[in-house]
Amino acid sequence: MPAQKTYEKSFVLSLYERMVLIREFEERVKFLFLEGAMPGTIHQCQGQEATATGVCASLEADDWITSTFRGHGHALAKGLTVQELLDELFGARTGCCKGKGGSMHVGNMKKGMVPGIAIVAGGIPLAAGMALAFKMRGSRQVVACFFGDGAVAEGAFHEGVNMAAIWKLPVVFVCENNLYGASTHVSKVMTDTCISHRASHYGFNGQTVDGNDVLAVYEAARQAAADCRAGNGPVLLELLTYRRTGHSRRDTCAYQPKEERENWFSRDPLDRFASVLLERGDVSQAELDQIKSGVEQQINEAVELAKKAPLAGPEELLQDVFAPLS
Amino acid sequence: MEHLMKMPDLSTTDSAIKLVRWLVQPGQSVKRGQSLCEIETDKAASEVESIVTGVLKEFRAQPGDMVVVGQEIALFETEMPSTTAPPAASAPAKASGLFARNRATAPPASQPPSLALSQSQQTIGRRLQASKQNIPHFYLQASANAEPMIRRRNAAAPKPVWEAFFVSAISKVLKDFERIRWRLGAEGIIAVANSDIGVAVDVKGDLFVASVAALPGSTVDEISNNIRERAREIQEGVGEARGIRPAAITITNLGATSIETFSAIINPPEVAILAIGKIGPVPVAQDGRVAIQQRVALTLSADHRVINGKYAADFLGAIIREIEAF
Repeated sequence: MPAQKTYEKSFVLSLYERMVLIREFEERVKFLFLEGAMPGTIHQCQGQEATATGVCASLEADDWITSTFRGHGHALAKGLTVQELLDELFGARTGCCKGKGGSMHVGNMKKGMVPGIAIVAGGIPLAAGMALAFKMRGSRQVVACFFGDGAVAEGAFHEGVNMAAIWKLPVVFVCENNLYGASTHVSKVMTDTCISHRASHYGFNGQTVDGNDVLAVYEAARQAAADCRAGNGPVLLELLTYRRTGHSRRDTCAYQPKEERENWFSRDPLDRFASVLLERGDVSQAELDQIKSGVEQQINEAVELAKKAPLAGPEELLQDVFAPLS
Repeated sequence: MEHLMKMPDLSTTDSAIKLVRWLVQPGQSVKRGQSLCEIETDKAASEVESIVTGVLKEFRAQPGDMVVVGQEIALFETEMPSTTAPPAASAPAKASGLFARNRATAPPASQPPSLALSQSQQTIGRRLQASKQNIPHFYLQASANAEPMIRRRNAAAPKPVWEAFFVSAISKVLKDFERIRWRLGAEGIIAVANSDIGVAVDVKGDLFVASVAALPGSTVDEISNNIRERAREIQEGVGEARGIRPAAITITNLGATSIETFSAIINPPEVAILAIGKIGPVPVAQDGRVAIQQRVALTLSADHRVINGKYAADFLGAIIREIEAF
């Protein structure tokens, strides 16, 4: 963690709670899927909780994020509620996208999260466009654009990043490098596997950060957002992390070598941050346990409500297709 | 209380799932998330996690059974519904309601036969039956001097797999025989650009086709490594390695057995397949004398709707010239 910096206890506990919330949410959703209670497939982020939490904690309330098909963690980190997400996953009209988005497209425009863009790299040009709007309006807002290592070899990455570079747009490009694009290891699809190197080719700053260290992510993202607000953007953050589950629910992870998995599991972001908190001296194990049981309770209640939430009906099919003219 | 565990929706293609073996026995305690059994879908081998914490009372499905999604597989005795495990009575009711929309007619949970074909065998059966019924096959047989190939192989370390020579020979001549990559579809002929060559692979009695990258410039050793790598992935069930991948043409080699010649069934939508027999000593006339030469018999099966005899003969002749030129 960053050198000797002291943080407010309430702040670090809020980071911890957010990460526990994401982990428990994903675990609960996994079992709902296995039970057959939840239809469709899901893309989960167990093991990557620190990236979403650290980045979103560094943003202001009116900043924006774009997400991917693996968006549950981003949504919870940006302040969407467990209820509106679960309802969405169940296809209920009370969901954050009125039940029409589902797991791959969670978001809430009132909370600064564009519904997830499931096309790999598809969010990158959109983030550049959003940042252009901020710049033209003269606002101080920034957009944090989440994507995976698999997006870097897409044409849209080059186009979006290059445009952000030439116009110095306030975008924090957040690459969550979890080593695998679906089942393909990064070393099979890029000769330079240090993704942050790409930034220098476009003429802006890039940095590789331990993505399983929530405070390191927070500090890097805070600096990046500040650079963007100062007109020195964009910035590329490569957050090194690891996905504990399959690419999607039916993927068995057979391609992740056992040794590699164990090595990363020993660097689990929740376990590591719990140790950091306990070392502070003013946080007890009982407080951490209480956070976990509080989160479990919150999720249990939300699940019961989500199971009874009203499904979106056919009469709603053509609603919300076009944005209202303003 | 009792909880009936049902097969989760782990099949990507809606096909039945084969229960390979149980990892726990009746009377044993299991934890939520613990692996219960190994399964095989038509794409991958994986494990099913328990959705409850409790004691396994009895199996409702046996190793070798073909199980459909939602079918009961095991009965558990659980403690009072914990905060994380949903009550058994309410969850499945909701589940069947949701799935009912996706699956208009759920297959009856009939008694499966104790002898069952593997998933891959069923897929092969379906595809090849269609091939034999729909494709007017014809067969051309010739043989090639295998001695240059044997010398080249003995000089290499490690020794390339035999299939690599035939893949290499085909990859060199493919550009001159565009019809090999014609595909007959409902809307007429389509030419595919794929230059991968399919290689039939036996994995414990099941037949798979490994799609191997081969360019005219690829060396035999590179191709050999590719074949080994693909075969390993299929063996280990990595990702979707066992899925069907398109290739320009497939080869099938029984050279390691005592088979001298055989005719193979075309692997649709391809229009030809090359069958390779064992290499053996054959008397040949050389300079007016009888000499003994190591030769290999090749049989090309071709689709007469797309390819005529002369064209196929020229193709096979070109392959033989390349084999004799190693």
